Amino acid sequence: MSAPPLEIQLRGLTRRFREGTREHLVLDGIDLDIARGETVALRGRSGSGKSTLLNLVGGIDAPDAGTVNVAGVEVTALTERERTLFRRERIGFVYQAFNLVPTLSVADNVRLVLELNKVSARSASARIQELLDAVGLADRAASYPDVLSGGEQQRVAIARALCHKPAVLLADEPTGNLDDSTADSVLALLDRLVRDSGHTMLVATHSQHVAAQCDRVLELHNGKLQPAA
Amino acid sequence: MIPVTYRASFSYLLRHPWQLVLSLLGIVIGVAVIVAVDLANSSARKAFLLSMDAITGEATHQVVGGPNGVSEDVYRSLRTEAGLTRIAPVIDGAATSDGLSLQLLGIDLFAEQSVRSFTGDAQDISSLFVSFLVEPGAVTASEQTAQELGLEIGDRFELFSSGRQHTATLVATFAADDSLDRVLVADVATAQEWLDLVGWLSRIDVRIEDGDTATLERFERALGPGTQLLSASGRTRSTAEMSQAFMTNLTAMSLLALLVGLFLIFNSVNFSVLQRRGLIGVLRALGLTRRQLLTMVLVEAAAVGLVAAIAGVLFGAVLGEQLLELVSRTINDLYFRVNVTEVSVSAFSVAKGIVAGVGAALLAAAVPAIEATSYEPRLALTRSVLERRTRHVLPIVTATGIAGMVAAIALILVSGTSLVAGLSAVFLLILGFALCVPLFVRAVSTLIAPLAGKLGGTSARMAVAGIASGLSRTGIAIVALAVALSATIGISVMVDSFRGSVNAWLQQTLQADIYTGTIREGSMEPELIAAIRAIDGVVDMSTRKRATVEDASGRTQLRVFELPPQSYDGAELIDAEPAPAWQAWESEDAVFVSEPYAYQHAVGAGDVITLPTDRGPRQFDVAATFQSYDINAKGIMMSRATYARHFDDDTIDSLGIYLAAGVDVDAVIREVERLSKDTQSLYINSNAGLRKESMRIFDRTFVITDVLYWLTLGVAFIGILSAMLALQLERARETATLRALGMTPGQVGGMITAQTGVIGLLSGIAAIPLGIVMAYVLIKVINRRAFGWQIDMTVAPDILAVSVIFAIGAAMLAGLYPAWRAGRSQPAIAMREE
Repeated sequence: MSAPPLEIQLRGLTRRFREGTREHLVLDGIDLDIARGETVALRGRSGSGKSTLLNLVGGIDAPDAGTVNVAGVEVTALTERERTLFRRERIGFVYQAFNLVPTLSVADNVRLVLELNKVSARSASARIQELLDAVGLADRAASYPDVLSGGEQQRVAIARALCHKPAVLLADEPTGNLDDSTADSVLALLDRLVRDSGHTMLVATHSQHVAAQCDRVLELHNGKLQPAA
Repeated sequence: MIPVTYRASFSYLLRHPWQLVLSLLGIVIGVAVIVAVDLANSSARKAFLLSMDAITGEATHQVVGGPNGVSEDVYRSLRTEAGLTRIAPVIDGAATSDGLSLQLLGIDLFAEQSVRSFTGDAQDISSLFVSFLVEPGAVTASEQTAQELGLEIGDRFELFSSGRQHTATLVATFAADDSLDRVLVADVATAQEWLDLVGWLSRIDVRIEDGDTATLERFERALGPGTQLLSASGRTRSTAEMSQAFMTNLTAMSLLALLVGLFLIFNSVNFSVLQRRGLIGVLRALGLTRRQLLTMVLVEAAAVGLVAAIAGVLFGAVLGEQLLELVSRTINDLYFRVNVTEVSVSAFSVAKGIVAGVGAALLAAAVPAIEATSYEPRLALTRSVLERRTRHVLPIVTATGIAGMVAAIALILVSGTSLVAGLSAVFLLILGFALCVPLFVRAVSTLIAPLAGKLGGTSARMAVAGIASGLSRTGIAIVALAVALSATIGISVMVDSFRGSVNAWLQQTLQADIYTGTIREGSMEPELIAAIRAIDGVVDMSTRKRATVEDASGRTQLRVFELPPQSYDGAELIDAEPAPAWQAWESEDAVFVSEPYAYQHAVGAGDVITLPTDRGPRQFDVAATFQSYDINAKGIMMSRATYARHFDDDTIDSLGIYLAAGVDVDAVIREVERLSKDTQSLYINSNAGLRKESMRIFDRTFVITDVLYWLTLGVAFIGILSAMLALQLERARETATLRALGMTPGQVGGMITAQTGVIGLLSGIAAIPLGIVMAYVLIKVINRRAFGWQIDMTVAPDILAVSVIFAIGAAMLAGLYPAWRAGRSQPAIAMREE
């Protein structure tokens, strides 16, 4: 049996940030391969560069050196506009702070991404229904984010991240703002949906519990990536 | 040393320089407009008073007469028979030289010495006296005036007065301040000849010591009917007061700019407080009391207000120079001669500007400052809580607004004819309406959001829904733009209605085919009038004489007409049957009073008024009130026959020429030109030409209004720009999320531009009802109270359409930069900054 194709391939990925006259090397020539359907946890201390790595994979940031290849697309070779379109179609994001659009209802938060991907209104409605059912929020479709609990908001964010069937799901501390019990249920949901649909997931987390759910756990330390102990 | 809390607070402003600059700019423009109008008004007024003071000198009283002035015989008898020596004859009239308008004063040099001295110390009186006697057309002027005319002592130059050309010689100059600029002084006899006043004096200046009742009584006894002794300062005051309503209206307009500026400052301070809610939460958590917090926000606002007010005063002084030209031109066109070219900056005007700037900043900061003190001492107050709070106070704000509007209406109803109360009501109305706008915005944007979604997708819906959901940010900006727009609608509708009414009035009033008369002052040569009457094709003529009569209550302008009956239609009689009214006007001691006169004196058909005449005060029946838009509110129309019975004056200053059907108007105009060429310089205009010229002067009067309202719109534009920038800063994370989800910079920018477009649309729509109500109040209350005019209000749809289009355009323009910024924002950085 042949190995599954690579979904994410990072080579020599380097990213520095400048603070006044000082330069801070966050990622120092990272190499990484992630297979299609694989779930990988990224651990590290605060400021170790986990979010930066996710942003580079998702194309919302550009590296100082190195390449990022996602689903066969060399992201680092794309223009800003091409990166945006790539992100729109191939990437799903889940953030610690949910980042729902406060002026849109639950359904419209999900619809926004489908609309950007030019999914017809009819198909979009069906897909929204399907996903809200899947995350258990079908009855809250018309509600606005500010009346939802943290767990509910994150479930909407998950639905939004998966609605357009992205190649890769990037999750940045997805349970960081939730209590333990809510975090467990959200994590279970995320795990189920990702595995059911065969998505590749890269998740940045402090949580050992979250990391334990993944196929592989990597540690980011001093700008270098290494398997977790 | 600045406390750390203050440093923390101030550093926010310094980190957002554009926001700081925009809020400063709002106050700067608001204060500048106030200071500029104040300086222009006060400089014009001061120049007039100084000039009057210089000309009046030490005269305490003046003897005045009828339309021709005071007979020379009166002066002679006062000096010789009554033995009153501290008196000086004065001839006062207008002249032009080299296109420059001049005041021509005729004086008796020796009599002058008991009252004043025009000649300064540099000149020897006796040599000047000799020059006045031996040199024909001898005049003297201040050094500046001579310089302005390009004259040196001994130069001869051409001078025009009463439509004739004269040759003058500059025999001396004197040192004087600006108060005697553009004044030529000649001997009485020369001035009488030039001004066509031989045998007459404009007035006799008198000096009576305080408490010298004996001399006063001697004057009373010596003066016959038709002459009166009036206080000099009272005469100056009543002339200056003529322009008071005009100046009050200008001040009100400048306050409007500050009011819009106030919203802008409120907007800026509000944003800066809201955006620092995290910092404020931390400071509160660390132990900053509510009082300390309140003080901190207010001190910051006062500091910003002070810096901006100082800049505003400086800018205002520059702007004032420009406005002064417009103000003095209008005063010269409409009221009295004033010659002023330089703004005199008074400490009082500066203080007013500073107080207005700092006061406005404090007032605008008060609400957000009080709100800030209510924040719980925690790290951040969530947006949804803020917006919920806004939603909760909205009904209270709206109810307060309605109460304000009701109070405005009540104030109009109970304040009689008070102009200041009327203007206060306008401001109350604006404030009241402004408070109702946010509810309107929320209702409409909530209503149209689904429609926007259907038409333009989710991002369009977000753009519209964002307005309602971010009401604490968008509301104030919309209010500022709506108020500024409503002011432009109100003023445009007022000016447009006024223009329409004046145009219709001119069409009705001007019945003759050709008008001719003397330029500025003076009377027409009787031989010339006879020659014009004899021109082939002339079937009838109306004659007019403008005469001014004066008593202790002030001046009244008489418009004396001899009218052919077919021109009766030219006067619209408001409160009487035309036929009997005209009959009474022609044959009895009856007059028509102008509508402004009727309003100001509360008289109408059937009443009796008293006027000074050459035979002493006489009573006249008011036969009717006639419609008039003449700026001189004290106009009275009198028939030539009635005038002849009461005044020793048969002069005519203008003619209306009626032609037979088919006669070539231009040919007759050419004939009048030919006849007058060698006798008297006249203005000659066709009916259409005079109407056009009148409308040109009308439009010129409103140039200053245009300038002020563009400045007001400028303030509102800055308001929208500032609001949109702040909103984008506030929504940086939301924008970053959208970018992360795959929205292109163009899509994000488009969404923001659409949002500002809708903000403009809502502002424009909200401005329409307030604009129309403002126009109504300006026309029916303010103009009526200020000038006594009755104007028919017409609302031209294009004014409303242009305002809405302008609002959308201005808002979208203001949204371009924020849209570009938002589109360019790097999602990764925005996310990290949060």
